[in-house]
Amino acid sequence: MIQAIKNFFIALRQIAVGNKKYYLWVSFLSFLALLGASAYIGQLSRGLIITAMRDQVSWGMYISNFTFLVGVAAAAVLLVIPAYLYNFKPIKEIVLFGELLAITAITMCILFIIVDMGQPLRVWHILPVVGAMNFPASLLAWDVVVLNGYLIINSVIAFYVLYRLSIGKEYKMSVIGPLIILSIPWAVSIHTVTAFLYNGLSSRPFWNASILAPRFLASAFCSGPAIMLILFQIIRKLSVVEIDNKAIFKIAELIAYAMGINLFLLGAEIFKEFYSGSIHSAPIQYLYLGLHGHDKLVPWMWFATTMNISAFFLFLFPKTRENFTTLNMACLFVITGVYIEKGMGLVIPGFVPDTLGEIYEYTPTTQEILVTIGIWASGALLYTFLLKLAIPVYTGKLRFFSKTQLTAARDIMTKLVATIRAETPLDEVVKLMLSKRLTDMAVVDDSDKLIGIVSERDIISLEVGQASGKTAADLMAAPTGTVPESFHIQELGKVLASRTANLLFVVNENGQPVGTIEGSDILKSLEDIRRE
Amino acid sequence: MEEDGRRSGGIDRRAFLQGAALGLATLALPLGRADASFWESFFQKHFREMNDDEIKQVIDRLEKEYAQKFGKQIEIGADKPIPGVLYGYGLDLSRCIGCRRCVYGCVEENNQSLDPQIHWITVLRFKKGEKWVDLENSEKYYNPEKVPEEEYFYMPVQCQQCENPPCVRACPTQATWKDPDGIVVIDYNWCIGCRYCMAACPYGARRFNWGSPKRPVEKINPKTHYLGNRPRYRGVVEKCTFCIQRTRKDPGRYPACVEACPVGARKFGNLLDPNSEIRYAIEHKRVFRLKEDLNTYPKFYYFFAYGK
Repeated sequence: MIQAIKNFFIALRQIAVGNKKYYLWVSFLSFLALLGASAYIGQLSRGLIITAMRDQVSWGMYISNFTFLVGVAAAAVLLVIPAYLYNFKPIKEIVLFGELLAITAITMCILFIIVDMGQPLRVWHILPVVGAMNFPASLLAWDVVVLNGYLIINSVIAFYVLYRLSIGKEYKMSVIGPLIILSIPWAVSIHTVTAFLYNGLSSRPFWNASILAPRFLASAFCSGPAIMLILFQIIRKLSVVEIDNKAIFKIAELIAYAMGINLFLLGAEIFKEFYSGSIHSAPIQYLYLGLHGHDKLVPWMWFATTMNISAFFLFLFPKTRENFTTLNMACLFVITGVYIEKGMGLVIPGFVPDTLGEIYEYTPTTQEILVTIGIWASGALLYTFLLKLAIPVYTGKLRFFSKTQLTAARDIMTKLVATIRAETPLDEVVKLMLSKRLTDMAVVDDSDKLIGIVSERDIISLEVGQASGKTAADLMAAPTGTVPESFHIQELGKVLASRTANLLFVVNENGQPVGTIEGSDILKSLEDIRRE
Repeated sequence: MEEDGRRSGGIDRRAFLQGAALGLATLALPLGRADASFWESFFQKHFREMNDDEIKQVIDRLEKEYAQKFGKQIEIGADKPIPGVLYGYGLDLSRCIGCRRCVYGCVEENNQSLDPQIHWITVLRFKKGEKWVDLENSEKYYNPEKVPEEEYFYMPVQCQQCENPPCVRACPTQATWKDPDGIVVIDYNWCIGCRYCMAACPYGARRFNWGSPKRPVEKINPKTHYLGNRPRYRGVVEKCTFCIQRTRKDPGRYPACVEACPVGARKFGNLLDPNSEIRYAIEHKRVFRLKEDLNTYPKFYYFFAYGK
């Protein structure tokens, strides 16, 4: 328990202490986060009316960001698959950072859902048992299950690995192996369920297309890893973490394939909608061409499509994906492209035209944008803190106190039951030794300070009869085998090893003897710790 | 807080600190409240999990809250569905003149917010001889001098009380459900305001309280039902309940929209009663239901009683 608390403070200190750049970055993010928080307080006091959402377009920027971020959480799994299944070493080393990103992305998802709720205090109604979760009928209930499950799985994996590393031990695959295997289909499930959330609504023809879930997955496999690639470069620049170029280029190659599939699926959808040309193609017309003169999203969609196509080619050719300038450009293109396409480009046309044919053009308000920025800043802050803790652990710079370092002499010593004075007659010393079964006795002065030791061996070495009339002072040896009570096991072991006697006297800060430790005491507690 | 929206370039230190202080105050608010009613309403159970005594307690508390808020006695009923009744609605498109008296009659009866304005009934206007079924060419905001207009026809839309309601399936908290008399209701104290039901509804029938509902006290109809027209909260969804506060009484009363219609285009009755007017309309007229391809099975029937 004490150990856990100590370690918690060590971790806290790790986050709280940094260089000037770090403080600047953290204050910048905190400023944005607080700005978002104050905009959200405005929303709490006046209601969602401060957003541009209305009955016609009842979801907007918040849910768009949520949708995009569910995709980002894919990053971890894309890295997990080659790392663990194919044992691709360069990627395996950096999976941890992907998992931390997944944790961050899901946390942001949850925040976006909370700020979108009309009654956030009632969030517990969605829980099973205490609330009235509508499972399995409601896809939103499914989403709650899979997203929180994904958060838990990734947190357990990441924190277990970090914990083992931090106490200087290898993590056990027997512990996290099954979780890692589970996390792969689970990651696919969070995208699929979130896609089904839209997909299952027959009222919204734009979403009610079976291509939605595959498109969702394909685009997620582009944006998430693109974010990772940029983060990896920042991590390796700002820390001593080494990330192999091979890993970066491999991920870039995977993005090219994912983007290829994404563009193909988009093409398939565009063909079906425009060639068949039924009334259900109205939303896609609104997206790419404009509908009845309403065309606010049109430039955005063409911009996004251009970005995605350019990025596809930049990722496809080894020459451009292995050049960091073009690689980073491509990453930014993909992130922007998918953010538009899988954000507002997915959510808004579900509502335009609305179910009664009305066209309400949605443009987020300043407050909505501020809340959104605030959540992104909070996410960046969370990821920064996670990295600040994880990187030194990962590089071996930070090690928590282990149990062997926390078990001190005072915890394992045998308490002292009797002491003697210099003037104590030897006869009495022998009686005491025999009655208390002691092999060595501490000799103390008037202030109870340890001044010497009388051992049974010294007494035995006297010839018969010589003992009478003598006192402890005549036989006592200087107190060299003493240790402070704060010494931990490892230090005790070292002291003991350097001595011939198998016994140490423990003294407090006043130099008064308080206990004894034998070699077997140390051995026993080491064995106890090992068994834990 | 008003200022945040306008100051897009950034917020000065004072405004920022004010915001932060307000934030802390908001967090502390629930703890500091003197009355126990905040926690009672926070921990209020799902309507369908409460027994009659618990419902009565909740209603007593709500009536007190409303009295405090509005300075007016508001009576909240909790009448249960009448056995052997399944409500159905008929709308004669050949009669409807697009006057919107049903819309305002509904607002008057059901205590909708006047600011922001909430209507449960939408009347769509279509040009004769043009596309109809995709609703995209309909006009919701028509505003002529006089109705009916020669070249147009009208179609009022409200909650269709589907037998297979997509909104009920969508709701993650079971805050909305279909009662045995076929009415889809919402527990305004259980709804979390996620608006998934609104995305799921094919008829645009659900309304959200984006802001705090406002309505002058003298215009509040004090005869209410817990699942119907009692005053609503900010951040919850509401919709037509076939005037549950009237129709579940015995003897009942027609929904306000039926009473308000000056041309008798609206019919209402028990689908299980072979002698009801609604059954007559269904059996003798050419009826259709909106978006039948979605298999939602509305209990709201459109028909044409005569030509023209």
